[in-house]
Amino acid sequence: MHKGTRPTAARFRGGAGPGLEVQRVDQSAVVALLMVGITKRFPGVLANNNITLEVRAGEVHGLLGENGAGKTTLMNILYGLHQPDSGEIYFNGEKVEITSPRVAVDLGVGMVHQHFMLVENLSVLENVILGIPPRRPPLLELDSARDRFEKLAKRYQLVIDPSTPVWQLPVGTRQWLEILKQLFRNASLLILDEPTSVLTPSQAERLFRTVRSLVDEGRAVIFISHKLREMKEVADRVTVLRDGHVVGTVDPRETTPSELARMMVGRGVFLDRQPRPPSESEKEVLVIEGLCCDNDRGVPALRDLSLTVRAGEIVGVAGVDGNGQRELAECIVGLRRPMKGTIRINGELVTGVICDPSLLGYIPEDGRKTGLIADFTVEENLIIKTFDSPPLTQRGILQWSEIGDRANTLIRDYDIRTPHPAIPLRHLSGGNQQRVVVARELSAKPALLVASQPTRGLDVASVEAVHNALLQERNRGAAVLFISTELSEVLTLSDRIVVFLGGEIMGEVDAETADVNLIGEMMLGHRKRAETAVGVNE
Amino acid sequence: MNGRRSIVPLRLGEVVSSGGRLGLAIVLALTVSAGLILAAGANPIEAYAALLKGSIGSVAALANTGVRAAPLLLGGFAVGLAFKSGLWNIGGEGQIYLGATAATAVGIIPLPVPAWLHLLLAVMAGFAGGALWALIPGYLRAYRGTSEVVTTLMLNYVAGYLVSWLLHEPSPLAEKGAFFPMSPLILPSARLPILVKGTSLHAGLILAVVLGVVLHFVLRYTPFGFRTRLVGGNPEAARYAGVGVARQIFLVLLVCGGLGGLAGAGEVLGLKLRLFDYFVGGVGYEGLAVALMTKGNPLGIMLAGAFFGCLKAGASKMQIVTGIESSMALVIQGLTVLFVIAIGFGERMRITGAEMKEQVTQEDQADGD
Repeated sequence: MHKGTRPTAARFRGGAGPGLEVQRVDQSAVVALLMVGITKRFPGVLANNNITLEVRAGEVHGLLGENGAGKTTLMNILYGLHQPDSGEIYFNGEKVEITSPRVAVDLGVGMVHQHFMLVENLSVLENVILGIPPRRPPLLELDSARDRFEKLAKRYQLVIDPSTPVWQLPVGTRQWLEILKQLFRNASLLILDEPTSVLTPSQAERLFRTVRSLVDEGRAVIFISHKLREMKEVADRVTVLRDGHVVGTVDPRETTPSELARMMVGRGVFLDRQPRPPSESEKEVLVIEGLCCDNDRGVPALRDLSLTVRAGEIVGVAGVDGNGQRELAECIVGLRRPMKGTIRINGELVTGVICDPSLLGYIPEDGRKTGLIADFTVEENLIIKTFDSPPLTQRGILQWSEIGDRANTLIRDYDIRTPHPAIPLRHLSGGNQQRVVVARELSAKPALLVASQPTRGLDVASVEAVHNALLQERNRGAAVLFISTELSEVLTLSDRIVVFLGGEIMGEVDAETADVNLIGEMMLGHRKRAETAVGVNE
Repeated sequence: MNGRRSIVPLRLGEVVSSGGRLGLAIVLALTVSAGLILAAGANPIEAYAALLKGSIGSVAALANTGVRAAPLLLGGFAVGLAFKSGLWNIGGEGQIYLGATAATAVGIIPLPVPAWLHLLLAVMAGFAGGALWALIPGYLRAYRGTSEVVTTLMLNYVAGYLVSWLLHEPSPLAEKGAFFPMSPLILPSARLPILVKGTSLHAGLILAVVLGVVLHFVLRYTPFGFRTRLVGGNPEAARYAGVGVARQIFLVLLVCGGLGGLAGAGEVLGLKLRLFDYFVGGVGYEGLAVALMTKGNPLGIMLAGAFFGCLKAGASKMQIVTGIESSMALVIQGLTVLFVIAIGFGERMRITGAEMKEQVTQEDQADGD
């Protein structure tokens, strides 16, 4: 996997040995966890390649890497969910075999997953004691557990009423609960998997303080993220992963963000915007005015939002996940009813699901859930919006030969890898499933294209295919609304960037001249500065 | 590449594999049952020979099988179509009762119309009666989100008692002074014709087979069928594709009710010639088994229904020859269903296992996001 050629990157490459740059740091610290030479292979992927990770008691150890770098696999191995093909794990100096999550928990490993593992119908306290065997079964020790829980909560100033059912808790509080749950189990090594992705900036600040107080007590924390500034803020040391191997372990305070970024990405931050013809059209295709909308929990997700997308431009929506992007997309498509405000596409008011594929194309963030039918064949998935109009249906009969021809054309044009158009979709890889969505939505040449995290979880080749398709749509003259939580991607593709936070637009910048730091600050809520800097734009 | 030509083998493959699953289940069920027959002190080979003879050994036996199979097919379609749209129609029993009642009501009134029209009206009344019985569950499921499993099941009991009440005097449907609650005889003009002289094989079987083929065609070749499968495959995606999901669910349940109603109409117009109290006797639930064994595939339902028909027809012959209780047929039926489920479960485990592995890999590739 050592394919890098840049000398700058090579500087950080620790290679295979367990030594890395560890020597550089204080030798007296107690090593809580040592993973040596971990290799894990999945069919067709080398997810972890000879990874060595050292985590000390009393430190926050950042694990930094792009999607697909191998962070999750490594943590799943540590938590006993996967067995490594080779390599050894030492806990407080002793060699251990983590054969199941139970073993990991007994060793003191606590994992806070990105998607919370809470039972919504149970109370806070019941969730906390869930899975802990009582001393006198079958009776639960709720009273003593309540005492302990409340003391614990007070100590970390994370006060939650133990009798509240979890479904009533806001997302941020659920994360406190997940952390308290692990502390209740006396976890000495806490793994936080992208903990800030669901938090507001002020909640994140609080999380960082809590994490610091945890390590001050001698615990170790592994903090997984792909956000550079978080690493700088919270981590003592950072191990950077790329393509399944360790690039290096560094002190984030002694490393500049661009150095970290280069380690993470390996090819200079890929801001290679493709040259694009300027757009002459002034036609406003999508006009949103004063849009207000609640999310599924009934909490306001969009607050008085106004946005315009013109023909021939890509407007990128940047922002931390969960700031109203999903609701915006669903309102535009007509799947979600706004509480207030109007959405017009080519002058037409959106009042329900838009069936005209030449007006609107939509690439949803979870294609398998909203855009595709796993049990349908590829050709059937390609026609779910157009099946009942000619030429696919004539005199009330579906024309399968026509449908097959169309499918073959789209399969060729959009490079969908399938042995046959009549193969059930679920046999295709994730990237190819996404290409099916892209092919279906773009083939009707929509006036407006809404792409909501269209590259999430895709391999590099598929990401590139999606990017190219979006650019082509723009150049054809479509208005494109591109929503992504990957800032680099937004920067690469957009003509204009709007930054979302809490259902509001924090600011707008020209992508050609965008300052990453400025956008980053807006994403984190520094509106004032952002406005003074870009105020001219509106 | 030509789309149509290349599709055919795959479709055939699908049918063959679902037929293969059914065949394997039948073989396993017969093997286990052979052990039971042996334990009961009879020779299983002799017993099965009698079973075959009684079901397909002669024209009369075949006719008997056809008579038994007809309501199973229609009842199976009533469940199977719902299954294709992701719904559970457990109300076959009630829909059969109501269809039979409506058909009887038309069939016992002398109408000043030609015989074929009288029959057609009676059959259509049967469809309407069944559809009517699915109206309430359909509405509640489509527009109010109430589980159709509960409502259709509960209405079965209502239907049973309703028919019972209608067959007691002074109801106009009740035969005056009858020894058993039943309706007057269906008029000859409204009866389904007998297909083979000297047997009771009536045109209801033809109706069932034709409808099976039509249903297969509808599901595959019409926008209505495509919409139905779309709603069943992923309601969220269907909504996005502009399908009125609630409306489609409502319509599908109505049609399912109508198909169940036709099963009832066929029974009274072709075989019983009267409406009797409690005459359905579980055919609705057998239809459920038939449909689930074949995942709602109309052609598969015809195969499974034929097999169940054979068992029912051949069981009495088996009892006469070997002394094995005819309820052995029910045991074989039950075992077949169990084996189909077990095989399906095994396959699902295998598929899910493979998919999970794939998913884990993809997640690992995506690394958490």
